[in-house]
Amino acid sequence: MNSIQSCQQARSGTPMMQIIIGLVLLSFFSIIPGIPGKALAANIAGESRTYMQYRETAAGDKLLPLYEYLDFTVQDLGKESISVHFGGWLGYDLSNNSFGGNADKDRSVQYGYVSYRAKEDNTVVNLGRVMVFEGVASERLDGIYARTDIKGGFGVSVYGGASTILTEPNDNTIYGGRLSHQSAGLYTLGISYLKQERNGSSFREEEGIDLWLQPVNKVAITGSSSYNKKTTGWMEHAYYLMLGPFDKLRFNTEASWINYADYFAGTTTNVFDMTPGGPIDPREKVNILGEEIFYSIDTNWALSVDYKKYGYDIAGNANYYGAKATYVLPKSYNAGLSIHKMDGDTNRLKYDEYRIYASKKIDKIDVTVDFLDVKYKEPINTVTNAYSVTLAAGYELTEKLKLGADLEYSKNPEFDKEVRAFLKINYRFDAELGKRKGV
Amino acid sequence: MNNKKKVLTFLLLLPVFVLALHLSTGTAGTALKHPMEVEAPVMCSQCHTDWRASMDHSAEFGGLRHKFSARQNKQTCGLCHVESFCADCHGVNEGLKPSDKYKDAPERALPHRGDYLNQHKIDGRINPASCMKCHGRQNNERCRVCHK
Repeated sequence: MNSIQSCQQARSGTPMMQIIIGLVLLSFFSIIPGIPGKALAANIAGESRTYMQYRETAAGDKLLPLYEYLDFTVQDLGKESISVHFGGWLGYDLSNNSFGGNADKDRSVQYGYVSYRAKEDNTVVNLGRVMVFEGVASERLDGIYARTDIKGGFGVSVYGGASTILTEPNDNTIYGGRLSHQSAGLYTLGISYLKQERNGSSFREEEGIDLWLQPVNKVAITGSSSYNKKTTGWMEHAYYLMLGPFDKLRFNTEASWINYADYFAGTTTNVFDMTPGGPIDPREKVNILGEEIFYSIDTNWALSVDYKKYGYDIAGNANYYGAKATYVLPKSYNAGLSIHKMDGDTNRLKYDEYRIYASKKIDKIDVTVDFLDVKYKEPINTVTNAYSVTLAAGYELTEKLKLGADLEYSKNPEFDKEVRAFLKINYRFDAELGKRKGV
Repeated sequence: MNNKKKVLTFLLLLPVFVLALHLSTGTAGTALKHPMEVEAPVMCSQCHTDWRASMDHSAEFGGLRHKFSARQNKQTCGLCHVESFCADCHGVNEGLKPSDKYKDAPERALPHRGDYLNQHKIDGRINPASCMKCHGRQNNERCRVCHK
């Protein structure tokens, strides 16, 4: 199976997904008042977000997709420790072109699981379609995830199930775990493991170390290293040193190293199938060193300067640096101005980037203006200046219901002029359901 | 996943977790909600001096560094964020780009603002690993329209 075929998403129709949806719906309807014998108390809170977008493709096709994003959490389900979580979206095509003629692209259950959470030890057990972020794992799977703190400062997490990102959900297993140890206020150190199999053979096998260390007050290091056991090489080391805050100053330093051959193994798209001597060489290794200095002038104004150096074994070097000023008046006004320069060894990696934005809230109305401009040293499709201007406005009809509209105009190497329009309706809801009599 | 693998997976996972529960300490877990409302920009270091101070929501925290906190201490993220906050970017098979959904929140460090159709060719050369995190094994239908 080639990489393109293999990257299709598992959809709502898989057996595991049917089980998940069943669990979520069963939990949801079991608390609806009026259903005989269903007297469980529960709180439900969530949000419905309805979006309609208008845009054109480079070929001139007009796209008009309509999306409904729904998420909700049912808590205190009978016992405080049980909850249900659901998030997903449906898309409806108003122009017959929005989803590329592929009806499978018009829906997704992002997550849907029943969760048990104990009051002690951070013990959590999630069952269903779960998102797992543990050490080397940043996955979504149909299965089980569990974690707890244990004696002596240790913590353990395990997960297993079917990955949702491959076409073979009936023969696609992913599992792993993380063991951590922490000394409160000094360090957290974790080791993690992940294995993914498909069609009976190993697809990915990764091991990792993650660290948070605070040797003295105002000095902290965080980061991780990951090792590809299949290709027997280190994939990435990425660490940050954070100093401060010292009065109004903070310093963040980044040091990363990536080995392409090991990092890009186990991909499901041919975008990352690199060839030696091609635009991106699989033998490439990159070092990234970065520094950000942040200065709070007062409670509203802040300044920051940042610098990032990319050092490649094969492709040469590039430097990205600039500055940003922000002004924030909480819940009222928000503005920012930034200027950055990319200076690489090739003309393609030489450009200047400018951004200015402002957002103001007046009573029930909010208005946002955002301008982003990129000036290339070397013209791309005869264009050296690419920019976009966005106007956004919102109106709170009620505390829970908000209407919004955006308009974006841009000129770039792909479009002489591009106009995008966006309408949205956000509705937040919460209710106490199935309350017992006398409670 | 066939039945044999399901059984094997659960056999592998359950004893580990049951043993862990047996060794649990009985200490109070992380609260479900932050005890007070926090205003943006969120600077945890204004009140905390321990590991929570490293979760200051600066621009580079929103960009790359938040992954380390999430992979070590996701329950802390849950103090303020519901799961859909993560899913807005990491939900896989996204219908809309996060930056399309949040044009009215320009302060948020979302990826791909402005003209990204052209810019991705440049960013992809600078650091393709930054693309891989979100699009390497998932959420790459749009990539395949051109990268056939």
